[in-house]
Amino acid sequence: MTATTFDPYARVVAPGRFLFALNPLAKIAAPLPAIVLLVFARDLATPLAFLALAYAVLLAGARMTGRLVLVLLIAIPAAALLVGLGMSLWADAARVDTSVTILQIGGWTLYGGAVATGMATGVRLAAIVALALIAGISTNGPDLVRSLVQQLRVPYRIGYTALAAFRFVPRFGYELDVIRQAHRVRGAHGGRGPFAAIARWWGYIVPLLAGAIRHAERVALAMDARAFGAHPDRTERHLVPWRARDTVFVLVFWAVSAAILWYFFPWAVPAAS
Amino acid sequence: MTSAASGAAAPRPVPLLQVRDLGIRHDGSATATPASATFSVARGEVVLLLGPSGAGKSTLALALNGLIPHAVPATIDGTVLVDGLDTRTTPVATLSTHVGMVFQDPDAQLVTGTLLDEVAFGPENLRMPVDEVLARSEDALRRVGLWDRRHENPDRLSGGGRQRLAIACALAMGSPLLVLDEPTANLDPQGIDEVYAALGDLVAAGDRAIVLVEHNLDAATAITDRVVVLDHDGHTVADGTVDDVLRGRADELHAMGVWLPVATIAALRLRAAGWSLDPLPLDPAELRAGLEAAEAPASAVRNSVSTPFSGPQDPISADSAASRLNTEHTAAATEPLIRVRGLRTRRGRTEVLHGVDLDVAAGEFVAIVGANGAGKTTLLQSIAGVVRVPRGQVRVDGVDVARIDLRSLSRRIGFVFQNPEHQFIAHTVFDELAHGLRLQKLPADEVRERTLEVLRRFGLEDKADVHPFLLSGGQKRRLSVGTALVAGAPVLALDEPTFGQDRARADELMHLLRGLSEAGTTILVVTHDMQLVTEYAHRTIVVGDGTILADAPTSEIFADEALLQAAGLRQPPLRRAFAGLTRHPSLAGVTRLADLPHSAARVADVHTEGAS
Amino acid sequence: MCAAIGVATGIATALWSPLHGLSAAFAIPVYGLVLGFHALPGVIAQQVLRLPWVALITHALAALIASAFVPVMAGRYLMAALVFGGVQEGVSALTRYRHWETWRFLLSGFVTGAVLAVPMWFAFDVASLSPWAGITFVVAFVLGPVAWTAVGLAIGTALRRAGVARATVKR
Ligand SMILES: Nc1ncnc2c1ncn2[C@@H]1O[C@H](COP(=O)(O)OP(=O)(O)OP(=O)(O)O)[C@@H](O)[C@H]1O
Ligand SMILES: Nc1ncnc2c1ncn2[C@@H]1O[C@H](COP(=O)(O)OP(=O)(O)OP(=O)(O)O)[C@@H](O)[C@H]1O
Ligand SMILES: [Mg+2]
Ligand SMILES: [Mg+2]
Repeated sequence: MTATTFDPYARVVAPGRFLFALNPLAKIAAPLPAIVLLVFARDLATPLAFLALAYAVLLAGARMTGRLVLVLLIAIPAAALLVGLGMSLWADAARVDTSVTILQIGGWTLYGGAVATGMATGVRLAAIVALALIAGISTNGPDLVRSLVQQLRVPYRIGYTALAAFRFVPRFGYELDVIRQAHRVRGAHGGRGPFAAIARWWGYIVPLLAGAIRHAERVALAMDARAFGAHPDRTERHLVPWRARDTVFVLVFWAVSAAILWYFFPWAVPAAS
Repeated sequence: MTSAASGAAAPRPVPLLQVRDLGIRHDGSATATPASATFSVARGEVVLLLGPSGAGKSTLALALNGLIPHAVPATIDGTVLVDGLDTRTTPVATLSTHVGMVFQDPDAQLVTGTLLDEVAFGPENLRMPVDEVLARSEDALRRVGLWDRRHENPDRLSGGGRQRLAIACALAMGSPLLVLDEPTANLDPQGIDEVYAALGDLVAAGDRAIVLVEHNLDAATAITDRVVVLDHDGHTVADGTVDDVLRGRADELHAMGVWLPVATIAALRLRAAGWSLDPLPLDPAELRAGLEAAEAPASAVRNSVSTPFSGPQDPISADSAASRLNTEHTAAATEPLIRVRGLRTRRGRTEVLHGVDLDVAAGEFVAIVGANGAGKTTLLQSIAGVVRVPRGQVRVDGVDVARIDLRSLSRRIGFVFQNPEHQFIAHTVFDELAHGLRLQKLPADEVRERTLEVLRRFGLEDKADVHPFLLSGGQKRRLSVGTALVAGAPVLALDEPTFGQDRARADELMHLLRGLSEAGTTILVVTHDMQLVTEYAHRTIVVGDGTILADAPTSEIFADEALLQAAGLRQPPLRRAFAGLTRHPSLAGVTRLADLPHSAARVADVHTEGAS
Repeated sequence: MCAAIGVATGIATALWSPLHGLSAAFAIPVYGLVLGFHALPGVIAQQVLRLPWVALITHALAALIASAFVPVMAGRYLMAALVFGGVQEGVSALTRYRHWETWRFLLSGFVTGAVLAVPMWFAFDVASLSPWAGITFVVAFVLGPVAWTAVGLAIGTALRRAGVARATVKR
């Protein structure tokens, strides 16, 4: 997340990796129904199945970078586990299956049932994250903006303002550095502890935002001077088309999602209990 | 460059741009700046627009393509006609195909991720067919010499390169008129040369008219046909050829506070001292030629022989002044005030400084120069403790910068950042100044007294309750210097203090620094302005690739042509004019305006100009 | 203008993301306090500019920027932008963009919290938590956006004081 290594315009070229050849909107639309429905699922099997589906798509279609491997193999499982454990701590002991006792500290008992519900939540969130990752990992900002403009008819004024905004990011990082240094040498809000830190960061906000807004005003003028926003549309040199394969991808993904849901039908469980 | 002559030919066509009695009042301000500007620009002509700061040049530039009043709220009197179109009723988009704009900050003009996308952005907005977009982009990029780099991210260009890209973007709009507002204000000497080379090619091709707002006249006059001058309120007071205005009315312009090429200012001094320089030179070569042809006035010879390097800022006299004022620094006799040994500063994972040794004695005025990215800022920040340095490498006033806590350090050395807004931390000017004193836990009375004194000294008394961000550029700069000084630091470090300031502000600030220096403050300045270095610094340090290339009295540095070449620097204009002058050896050593032979009447003028 | 605020808050949002994970893992009842952070872009934009549409546009930009940094959270950011931006814009529209008093901002914060608590209730299966955890959860969800709205208001006011909020014709 360092501003220096971040180039939102970098075009990812990964020949043979099908995710990169898809329209960004397809990659968002395909997992969307599954994500929404997962929010309301309660069991363990459905999210696990979707987790597997997402991993399969990512393994087949994304370029394996060190970072992605780290996310898939460590970050997501660890997060699922942590969330699961965390949730089971908060679970209402009166309403879970108390037949298995996992841990007992004094008067407090951690039951197997609590862990099961906790884990269900953990895995559910992990599945949602993994599904969202399909679009996240293989799309660059500008392409997403272009497809929003070209397919969804989002006003290009907003879309391209966002594109210009990506340019601010490294500048922001640099400005923040300088402001922090400047405040440091002036001895502003020294001291340790969370409150000193809050006071310190509070001091950075105004100079940072004020500088950014002035900069944005100048950029806006420069864009206007080049006829930005003059016509209802503009020439597109980079087309991000919606092709047959996008439709196929979305439909297949939806079909698989439906199959999984139909097979596990997660809502029967709470209805029965 | 005398197309102005052809423009005067009998059947005068409709001018490309006509500005008549133009007055512009920004919403929320009481007066109109410019108040009443009148001029016109013919096809293929290059017009230089001059005026003191605040005359409304930038405002005028924004009005030329309709950004005022369409995008910036303001009230307009008078008319601006572009190709016969009234800018008040024509939308900016239509005007953009007639007037291309280049602004001061190259970063603020970039929108996309590659050079090609960037240049294509304008034509795309005009809904041109893709072929046409590409053809125009290629043509524009070729004309500024960037076609080969079309797939790169603009971030990787130098400042000069980015500004050339901005010119290409304006060219791609296909407009016959190009308006540039201080296109080189932020660039180092090399970048300035690049931009003017690109503009020179445009002028040579003769197909575009240019309106140029520029403070750095040394580079601009070479391509200019005509000069238009606005006075302080923004009335047109002069409009004519370079010869008519810059040469013919130089005295008048100078008095008005309009900046002239350094060579011209020097020539005015010489004239006042009895030299006959006719015509008035506009660049070092002309000045030199003029001097070679001129007879020295009898009185001046005696005058000028007085050693060129004497004066109030002479190193020796300043040193003695400093030691006089710094008697409490008894250690200074044995150890210099700043002592740097084997300094290696890292930024992130890269080592930026590779073993720097440096001593600065109390009371010195030191300039640090070098090409972009040489490590000047890093060196200055290491000395001031702004970036972390390894222990034992930098000592200021006898203590190790790496060990001391920042509060006590800020009492020893004041740092002034390039952009003053970055360092403001309080909500009023008064609190801003008082902050440093309160940190020292001084009694409230004393804080108040000392703060008010600084306010008076920097001419900010009536601004005590204003938010620092609401000050003008020059006032902000003074406040930032004030905050660094108020704690009584004996050392002041400034990073490009004249950046983005006009010449008058720059001079005002430098006079202030000279005053401090004479009173014993040690001053370190990073800057790109070589003439400024020559005028003020006792000693100059040339930095290149993280090492010190040279460290010597200023005059010696600029005498070494090979060194300057190697460091990517340029000689200051005066030295270029005077060095090796054969006919008047007495002038050959002159590098500063202050060293020029002068009539007694002008002495005061030399030192107080710009301080208004 | 919106762009600048959007970028700044977008980056802040990205930096904030670890807290999402932490609170989801260890302190789910107070998740609302963390999520309330997403109120910032719209509140700052509205307080500085006081114009129609700025809240939604700023939210959209903030979400885009934050997603570029933390692709994993992209979906959540877009949702948050829609909900927070939608409510803030809606409340302003209902008051016809005439009222910019503190109570109005806090009201929109309150509404946002209520609107958000519902889906989150399901997402985290709060019904299965102990009752007091559930109550804390809901209270935090309402308090979070309100508290962060107050913070955003303070930032916006500071910016106005610094003279940033000059009237612009558009954008
Ligand atoms: N957006 C604005 N709103 C209100 N006042 C403004 C605005 N921009 C400039 N001004 C004021 O208009 C006057 C003219 O400013 P302008 O920037 O045009 O001067 P300039 O001749 O370009 O000066 P410089 O040489 O310093 O660049 C100044 O007093 C300035 O404070
Ligand atoms: N925060 C940073 N992280 C990594 N490298 C940096 C950082 N800041 C500067 N550098 C690098 O250190 C080198 C020296 O930078 P520095 O800012 O000191 O140069 P400079 O001489 O002040 O240049 P300029 O004339 O452009 O201001 C440059 O190559 C720069 O890219
Ligand atoms: Mg200007
Ligand atoms: Mg620097």
